Amino acid sequence: MALLEVKNLSVAIRQKQGLITVVDNLSFHVDENETLGIVGESGCGKSLTALSIMGLLQGSQVRITEGTVCFDGVDLLILGPAERRAIMGDQMAMIFQEPMTSLNPVYRVGDQIVEVLLQHLKLSRAAAKQRTLELLDLVRIPNPILQINSYPHQMSGGQRQRIMIAMALACSPRILIADEPTTALDVTVQKEVLDLMGELQRHTGTAIVLISHDLGVIAQTCDRVAVMYRGKIVETAATKALFADIRHPYTKGLLNSLPLVDGDVEWLDTIPGQVPGIETVLPGCAFQPRCAFADERCSYEKPNDIRVAGGHWARCHYAGQST
Amino acid sequence: MIFLSRLKAFASSRVLATLGMVWLGVIIFAAVTAPLLAPFDPTEIDPIARLSEPGSLYWFGTDHFGRDTFSRALFGARMAILIGSGSVIVALLLGGLVGMLSAYFTTLGHVFMRIVDVLMAFPALLLALVLMTLLERSVINTILVIGIVYASTTARILFGMTLKLKNEVFVDAARCSGAGHISLLFRHILPNLISPLLVQASFIFAFAQLQSAALDFLGLGLPPEMASWGNMLSEERIYVTRAPWLLIFPGALIILSVFSMNLVGDAMRDSIDPRFKNDIAGV
Amino acid sequence: MLSYTLKRLLTLLPTLIAASILVFLFVHLIPGDPAAVLLGDTATPQEIAALTREMGLDKPLWQQYTLWLSEVAKGNLGQSIFFKAPVTSIIADGAQTSILLATMTIFWIIIFGIPIGVLSATRQGSWVDQLTSGLAMFFASVPTFWLGLYLILIFAVGLGWFPSSGFPSIFDEGGISNLRYLLLPSLTLAAPNAALIIRLVRASMLDISREDHVRTARAKGLHPTKVAIKHVFRNALITVVAAFGFTFAALVSEAVVTETVFSLPGIGRLVVQSILRRDYPVIQGVILVIVVLYLFINLLVDLAYAMLDPRVSLK
Repeated sequence: MALLEVKNLSVAIRQKQGLITVVDNLSFHVDENETLGIVGESGCGKSLTALSIMGLLQGSQVRITEGTVCFDGVDLLILGPAERRAIMGDQMAMIFQEPMTSLNPVYRVGDQIVEVLLQHLKLSRAAAKQRTLELLDLVRIPNPILQINSYPHQMSGGQRQRIMIAMALACSPRILIADEPTTALDVTVQKEVLDLMGELQRHTGTAIVLISHDLGVIAQTCDRVAVMYRGKIVETAATKALFADIRHPYTKGLLNSLPLVDGDVEWLDTIPGQVPGIETVLPGCAFQPRCAFADERCSYEKPNDIRVAGGHWARCHYAGQST
Repeated sequence: MIFLSRLKAFASSRVLATLGMVWLGVIIFAAVTAPLLAPFDPTEIDPIARLSEPGSLYWFGTDHFGRDTFSRALFGARMAILIGSGSVIVALLLGGLVGMLSAYFTTLGHVFMRIVDVLMAFPALLLALVLMTLLERSVINTILVIGIVYASTTARILFGMTLKLKNEVFVDAARCSGAGHISLLFRHILPNLISPLLVQASFIFAFAQLQSAALDFLGLGLPPEMASWGNMLSEERIYVTRAPWLLIFPGALIILSVFSMNLVGDAMRDSIDPRFKNDIAGV
Repeated sequence: MLSYTLKRLLTLLPTLIAASILVFLFVHLIPGDPAAVLLGDTATPQEIAALTREMGLDKPLWQQYTLWLSEVAKGNLGQSIFFKAPVTSIIADGAQTSILLATMTIFWIIIFGIPIGVLSATRQGSWVDQLTSGLAMFFASVPTFWLGLYLILIFAVGLGWFPSSGFPSIFDEGGISNLRYLLLPSLTLAAPNAALIIRLVRASMLDISREDHVRTARAKGLHPTKVAIKHVFRNALITVVAAFGFTFAALVSEAVVTETVFSLPGIGRLVVQSILRRDYPVIQGVILVIVVLYLFINLLVDLAYAMLDPRVSLK
C-alpha cells in the first residue's frame, strides 16, 4: 500500500461565472522512501494540490469538490479538524516557496522550531531545545547555539529555508511536501538546499513530494515524475524512464525549455501560446491549442491515459507511438 | 483567491459608500435649499410654543425659545457643509503643500517637518482650543482652526507619499526629459496623490464635524446665535429631561454625517494604491 | 535597549524645546501687555510693574524665555488670576480626577477593544463581525458629549444607578467607592477610543493573517485559536501599540469635553473654564504639562514598539 494515495481529487475555485475546476480528477501515489516530483507551469494547480493534501486550503472561495487523500490508509478529507491537526506538522510536513516570509518575524527561529516539537511530542522545554539544536546542526546551520536565538530577519534566504526544513523535519514526518522550495533562492544556494533534502531523506526515509516548475530540479532529485497541465497529470513515469522516452508533447516542450529554466517567461517562448484561462472550457485535449502535433481528433476528443510501459502513462491520443 | 475576497469586499463596501454619498447629497441639498424648505424662520421666537413635542406642525419639536428645531436643523446643514468643506480645503491646501514641498526639497523639508512635529505634539482639540482663545468666535476662525489642526496630519501623510513617488521611474523619466520642479511636482507627482487626498478629505470632513460640534459645545466654536447642530445641542442640553428630542435630532444629524463620511473614506481607502493604504489613518 | 532609549530621548529634545517655546509665546500672542494679560483685568499698575520686573518682561524675548523655563524647571508655572493660587497646585488638584479617569478609560478600552477586535477578525464576514464593525464605526462617529448626555439621561437621571456629575476625591468620605462617579464618564470616554482599537485590531489582524508565516503556523498543526493569538494577534499588536500615542491624544481631547459634561474637577474642565475665564497662566501651565506628558507617552510607545518588534532595535 502506498503511503499517500490521492484519488480523483478535484479542487474548484468559486468565481463570478460559478465553480471553476482547477485541479481536475487528479490521482497519484507516493511510496515510502520515495521522492515524487510534480512539475508544471505556474497556474497548473500544483500548489493547490499540495495545500489540499496538507489541509491548508483556506477561505470560502476554494474547496475540494471530490476525491480522497489517503495517508497510511486513512482518508484525510473525512477526518475532523482536530484529528487532521494531529497529523499536520507531525507525520506530514510542508516547506513553502518563500523562505523570506514564511517565518514569523517576531519570534526567534529556535522557538519556532520548539513550538512544533512541543505541539506533537511529549517533550520538556529543555529537551525540545536540545532537539532543536540537533536539528539546526542537521540542516547545517553554522553555530547552532548562537543561531537558535536569531530572529528570521538576521538570516539569509538560504538559512531561513534551512530553518523551514529543520522545522518540517522536527517531528520526523513520514511525508514532506516541498512546494517550490528553491525557487526564491540563488542558484548556488538552490543546489545546496536540494542536496541537503536528498541527504536527509537518505537518513530518515521520509517520502517527499517535490513541486517545481523546473524540470531540471525534478530530474536531479526525484525517483518519479508527474507532469501536470491544467489541473491534470498528463504524463507520469519513473524519472529515468521518462527522460529516456518522453511521450507527451507538453513534457517535450518542458524539456526543450530546460536551458532557459529561469522563470515562467521563457517557458512560453518554447511552448507556443499560453495556458488558456482556467475558465475556458475545451472540449478536446487541454493542450491541443498549443500542441505542435495536434490534429483534428485532439480538438474534440479528450485523450485517456495510455500505458506506455510499466508505470509510464501519458494522456495523449498518440502516446502509443514512439517518437 | 485573495483577489476575489477583496473584490467582494469592495463591492459591498461600495454599497455602503454609496449610501454615505447619498447622505452627503441630502445634506448639501438641505444646505442649499434651507430657506425654501424651512417651514419657519430658524430664529423666530415663539414663547407660547416653547418645548413643543415633535408633531405635524413642528416636525422635530421646538426648543426653549419656541424656535422650530426642523428649520434650525436645515440651516445647521449649511454650517456643517461650510465647516466641513472649509476645513478640508484649508487642511489639504496648507498640509498638502507643506508635505509635498518638504518631501521634494529636502532641506526645506527638515525645517517644515520639524514644525509639523511640534504641532503634532499638541492633541487636536487642545490645539484648536488654544487657537480659539486667541481668536474671535466666528465661522471663518472655526474653519481656520480646524483646518490648521488637520493640516499637520495631512502634511505628514503627503510627505511620506511624495517621498515614495519621488524616486519612481516615471518621475526620473520626466526629470530627464527636462521637466522643471513645478511641473514635476504638480503635473507628474500630484496626479498620483489625488485619490489618497480624496480619502483624506473625507476623513477630515468627518473629523471636522465632530471637532466643530465639540467646540460649539464648549462655547468656543461658532457664535452662539448661529444655528449649527453643535450649538443646538449645547444650548438645549439643560432641557434634555423635559425635551429629549432636542438632543436626538441634531445629534442624529451629526452622527449620520460623520458616519457617512467615514464609510466613504473607508471604501475609497480600500480601493486606492496599496502602497498608500497604510499611510492614511482615518477612523 | 538603553542606547535606543537615550537616542529616542535625544531626538525628542528639539521637539520638546520647540513646543515649550510655542507655549511660552502663547501669552505674547494675546493682544495687550503680557504682564497685564497674566494678571487679569483687576491688576493695578504697581502689580503689573512688579510682575514685569519679576519675569523680566522688559528684557529681550529669549531672555524672558530662559527665565520662564528656569522657573518652570523649579515647578513654578505662575499664579492663577482666578484662584489667586500657584498654577502648579491647581493642576495637581485636578490631576487626581484626570489620572483616575484616564486609568479607568484605558482599562475599558483594553478589555473591550482588544477581545472584540480579535473576535471580529477571527470571524471575518460573520454576523458577529458585521455587527461589531458596524457598532465600532458608529461609536467612532458619535460626538463624545452627546453620548455622555445620553448616558446621564438614561443611567443617572432615568434609572438612578450612578451619580450624574461631580467627583469627590477618593480620599474624602466614601473612599474608593467614589470611583462610581467616574464610571459613566470613563465609559463615555472609552467608547470612541475602544471603537478605534476594535477597528485597528481587526484590520491589522486581517492583514497579518494573509502573511505567509501564518500558513506555516497552521501547517504545524496548531489549534486555530493558538494561531490567531500567538501568531496573528501578537504581530498585529505591534501596529496597535504604535497607534496608542494617537489614542492618548484623542483621549486628552475628548477628556476636555467629557469632564465638562460630567462636571468633573479634572484638568480638562480646568482648561475650558480657564479659557472662558481668560485665566491665561492656568491655560499656559496645563498645555505645557499635557504636551510634555504626550511627548513622554510617545517615547514609551516607541520603546514598547521596539520591544515588541525585534526588527526595530537594529535600526
